[in-house]
Amino acid sequence: MNHSDSFLKLSGIRKSFVSDEGEITPVIDNVSMNVSAGEFVVFLGPSGCGKTTLMRIVGGLETCDSGEVLLGGEKVVGPDRKKGMVFQAYTSFPWLTVFDNVRFGTRYRNDIGKKEKENVASHYMQLVGLKEFSGYYVNRISGGMRQRVAIARTLAADPDVLLMDEPFGALDAQTREFLQGQLLDINKRERKTTIFVTHDVDESIVLADRIFIFSARPAGVIEIIEVSQHLAGNRDISVKETQSFFELRNHIRDLMRDEAQRTRELAEQEIIQSVEGGRL
Amino acid sequence: MKNHWLFTYRGKSSTRADAVLAVLAFVGLIGFWYSVAELEVVSQRFLPNPWKVLTALYTMLVDYGFLEDIWISVARVWGAFLMSAIMAIPIGIWMSSYRIVGALTEPIVDFIRYLPVPALVPLLIIWFGIGESSKIAVLWMGTFFQLVLLIGDDTKRVPKEFIETGFTVGAQPRQITWHIVFRSMLPNIVDNLRITLGWCWTYIIIAEIVASNAGIGHAIWSARRFVKTPEVMAGILTVGVIGLLTDQIIRYAHRRWFRYL
Repeated sequence: MNHSDSFLKLSGIRKSFVSDEGEITPVIDNVSMNVSAGEFVVFLGPSGCGKTTLMRIVGGLETCDSGEVLLGGEKVVGPDRKKGMVFQAYTSFPWLTVFDNVRFGTRYRNDIGKKEKENVASHYMQLVGLKEFSGYYVNRISGGMRQRVAIARTLAADPDVLLMDEPFGALDAQTREFLQGQLLDINKRERKTTIFVTHDVDESIVLADRIFIFSARPAGVIEIIEVSQHLAGNRDISVKETQSFFELRNHIRDLMRDEAQRTRELAEQEIIQSVEGGRL
Repeated sequence: MKNHWLFTYRGKSSTRADAVLAVLAFVGLIGFWYSVAELEVVSQRFLPNPWKVLTALYTMLVDYGFLEDIWISVARVWGAFLMSAIMAIPIGIWMSSYRIVGALTEPIVDFIRYLPVPALVPLLIIWFGIGESSKIAVLWMGTFFQLVLLIGDDTKRVPKEFIETGFTVGAQPRQITWHIVFRSMLPNIVDNLRITLGWCWTYIIIAEIVASNAGIGHAIWSARRFVKTPEVMAGILTVGVIGLLTDQIIRYAHRRWFRYL
């Protein structure tokens, strides 16, 4: 695939966190990439490597120290409806029913009228298969369903890019696999440009058009994998049973093993330092 | 043998059993009071039996215009309470939403919050006289600053992801404040208002005892001068009953309004 027609363009992103004591921790080290319109991109890396921070920068929820993000040629300066976000934490509002939660995604749209907002909400309720739970409050439904509500709500806002921060991270394995399949279906129909952050190798291969593999902190891209070059044919959850899936998974695991080790060492070092520094 | 569920550590609860036990406790308490009074452990002049207190309450209501005192106290409490709430809710939310507001106001609020209200009563009477405005001022001083901080804490407890969700569906800060933050913390606000309303009753009695020609506190204090113990106790019980009723009504409304919890 040729990615020069970049719809989403990250150039030279750098970011450091500064602690209260003035210690500087670099978290993102000079990341550049181009993402085409309609592409499904996965950020894969060890936990705490900075991939989520990078995605939040794309969403305008964090600022970067240098570099810039261009979405459809426009510089990202803050969060808005163009950059929809699905979080790992459950974000469906408990005071609203399932349907009203999804409709909330349309609330601040001024491109469509009231009647059409209803239709848009209904459409996405249908798409995530929650029609018969319309009138339920979210404390009555499962974690997997709450994430479907969040996805439907985000899509109902009609964003240019869909950002997903380990949305299935808190779910059990069966539910996660079911939602991965559902997300593939949704993506086939909607062709929404998507960035999906995860540390789950299998999940990344099932979902992605392209996988960006990140190093331990500070996050830098160590390899880019075009999944379609490895897995032939139509994508669905059954690719998990194929030989080429196993090979690709093993390749990625080998790549990540060293990074995971380094992440662990970094974390241990930090604990030792903070204990010695009298902070704990 | 397995413990009965009433005696199990953190055992399940049953509304009906709770109600029965609550009534039993009240009956027991009144029975205990009655026997202590009748045994004349202390003179009935100092501890009249419940019946005498009820009779006193009846006479106060019928012959001495106590109903008007009750009405005056209730009006003062609710007037000051509503004023306090209407000011504290937006300011509390604002304080936790913008760092500049928080940094400017939090230290001052924290300082005033620790001033004991009874100590302020003389000052407030010098400033506002003994009319209605001094009562309102006492209650307001006693509740506003506490409430602002409670609301501020509730605001901070709204999940960050709720707010970020708001931004990413295109809401502006003002819309996020009212459509998400306020709505999300509303059950907690109602709870805090209920607690604050309880404090108002403490302060109104103090204010009315110190300087007033009407109100429940004034009635209690006047009865004290002639050592009319039954009247004093009737006044105190009235406050308790009003407090209990209001509290139960708000709890009930809380359950009805926030069924989704």
